[in-house]
Amino acid sequence: MSKYIGESVKRVEDKRFTTGKGRYTDDIVLPGMTYAYILRSPHAHARINSIDTAKAKNMDGVVAIFTGKDIANAEINGVPCGWQVDFKNGDTMHEPPHPLLVADKARHVGDGIAIVIAEDRYIARDAADEIEVDYEILDAVVSPEKAAAADAPRVHDELPNNMAFDWSLGNPIDEVDAAIESAHHVTSLDFVNQRLVANAIEPRSAIGHYDTTNDHYTLYTSSQNPHLIRLLMCAFVLNLPEHKVRVVSPDVGGGFGSKIFHYTEEALVTWCSGQIKRPVKWTAERSESFVTDAHGRDHVTKADMAFDQDGKITALRVKTYAGMGAYLSTFAPAVPTYLHGTLLQGLYTTPLINVDVVATFTNTVAVDAYRGAGRPEATYLLERLVENGAHEMGIDPAELRFKNFIPAFDGVDQPGYQTQVALQYDSGNYEEVLKKALEMVGYDDLRAQQKNASERRTL
Amino acid sequence: MNQVSITVNGKKHEREVSSRMLLVHFLRDVLQLTGTHIGCDTSSCGACTVLLDGKAVKACTFLAVQADGRQVTTIEGLSDGNGSLHPLQEAFNECHGLQCGFCTPGMIMMASDLLARNASPSEGEIRHALEGNFCRCTGYHNIVRSVQHAAEKIQSNA
Ligand code: FES
Ligand code: FES
Repeated sequence: MSKYIGESVKRVEDKRFTTGKGRYTDDIVLPGMTYAYILRSPHAHARINSIDTAKAKNMDGVVAIFTGKDIANAEINGVPCGWQVDFKNGDTMHEPPHPLLVADKARHVGDGIAIVIAEDRYIARDAADEIEVDYEILDAVVSPEKAAAADAPRVHDELPNNMAFDWSLGNPIDEVDAAIESAHHVTSLDFVNQRLVANAIEPRSAIGHYDTTNDHYTLYTSSQNPHLIRLLMCAFVLNLPEHKVRVVSPDVGGGFGSKIFHYTEEALVTWCSGQIKRPVKWTAERSESFVTDAHGRDHVTKADMAFDQDGKITALRVKTYAGMGAYLSTFAPAVPTYLHGTLLQGLYTTPLINVDVVATFTNTVAVDAYRGAGRPEATYLLERLVENGAHEMGIDPAELRFKNFIPAFDGVDQPGYQTQVALQYDSGNYEEVLKKALEMVGYDDLRAQQKNASERRTL
Repeated sequence: MNQVSITVNGKKHEREVSSRMLLVHFLRDVLQLTGTHIGCDTSSCGACTVLLDGKAVKACTFLAVQADGRQVTTIEGLSDGNGSLHPLQEAFNECHGLQCGFCTPGMIMMASDLLARNASPSEGEIRHALEGNFCRCTGYHNIVRSVQHAAEKIQSNA
């Protein structure tokens, strides 16, 4: 290894990318391949009264059109969620079906209504324009917090409310409440960690290829997670034995998490290929990526941090409403829970922590793991509280952190550090790290300059 | 349908195309030159950048019929074809100017247009020239370094 340490190591894969010889999913052309366009709901919430595909089906070059009814009639399941978080009272998580195409109602802008398969991309899109859908527009709910209200529009009619699950972690809430009530100082903040689109530069793409002679399927997909997609698609969606299905992820043009999940389009092109006995390619347009790629974040949080008169943190209380979107994406429940609550000890000795999460369905695109997934949200709120607490109490923010750091422990002679929120840290020396960082930036000078500048009322 | 004659990477292609066919689909679907990518289909990302008579254009917002009788250069035609790479292609590897590589052909084509106009651009000029090209992976610094490095290579060979 030593010849690599401190050396610049050139990537071995670059030549194909710099010469235009990369092989991304949409670059693949199979003999007899058809092109799919998916007609999507322009409404956040709408009942589908009827769909008329007759005109589109008769157009030259159209091979087949399938709607949500066809999928339901074929008894194809929806894509599953792969992570179960049950309610605090033990009730099972609400996991409503996420059909490949919806038959009864659209639950977010971009929900799939029909797939048009044609000889080329242009025809598929033209034909989709000729499909008549009679929508009855319903009231929509988009805020994770408002979705929890009893009178909020119901995203899934079969559920008693919009709750996917609720969850908590840490110390008993009454102990945390009591510590906050009796504290010397409490810093309270409201956070909106807004939803975002991952926007990998390569739009998602999938090709389903059913080989009639061998009764075997191949799915090419722009994915970070081909093995798991094969498992989920075979076992839960299409009911196929895994040895009959090969999933290929060729070069992938960025993902940042958004290409880890099992998407409806993957199972849809695979199934369609079996129906028409020809390969079916679907590639998202950018505007389609916005309304079909899993989004990130969407947390609405209220948090309180309690301090004693010396600036020691005595308690932390976090209440988060986590928007799941209209359906539970593959890992969505893990993000605001196990990947979020467990980070709230941070680097501090806070003795009492309680985090409470309510996950709700909204008429929005499904949310899932994106760059850090739950952990940046936790770290952001924690450090904002510490920073604001310092300013409110007139203590230097670095000083406040030094007061509260977990003392250095190496995890060998000293044991690991057991947090209040399940994790055990292996080792850490936060004080030294911050000291070094302060030295490197010339912290005291920076603060002096800052003071000077604000006295002169300039930035 | 329209008869067009488009010279791509030095080779003349005579084809029938529909009036609405985009140049990027002509390159990718008709000629199977898939090095030119589609990232947005709305002239925002620059992944589809090619040279038309030596000048950079976004092929997703250009009709194949508009290229009739003209010369197109794609990423596949940038080097001399004898196995050696264009200095930009070398520099992107040497300066770690790419990760997933999806934006890279567009970046390189745009940069080649810049270097043809300005043999030793400043950092600011490079950033200005590449402002229509998005990269979601690298954070751009190493792309700028790659272009600077390529400019130096070309100058020292001149
Ligand atoms: S695909 Fe042409 S600019 Fe994005
Ligand atoms: S290298 Fe991935 S988008 Fe630029």
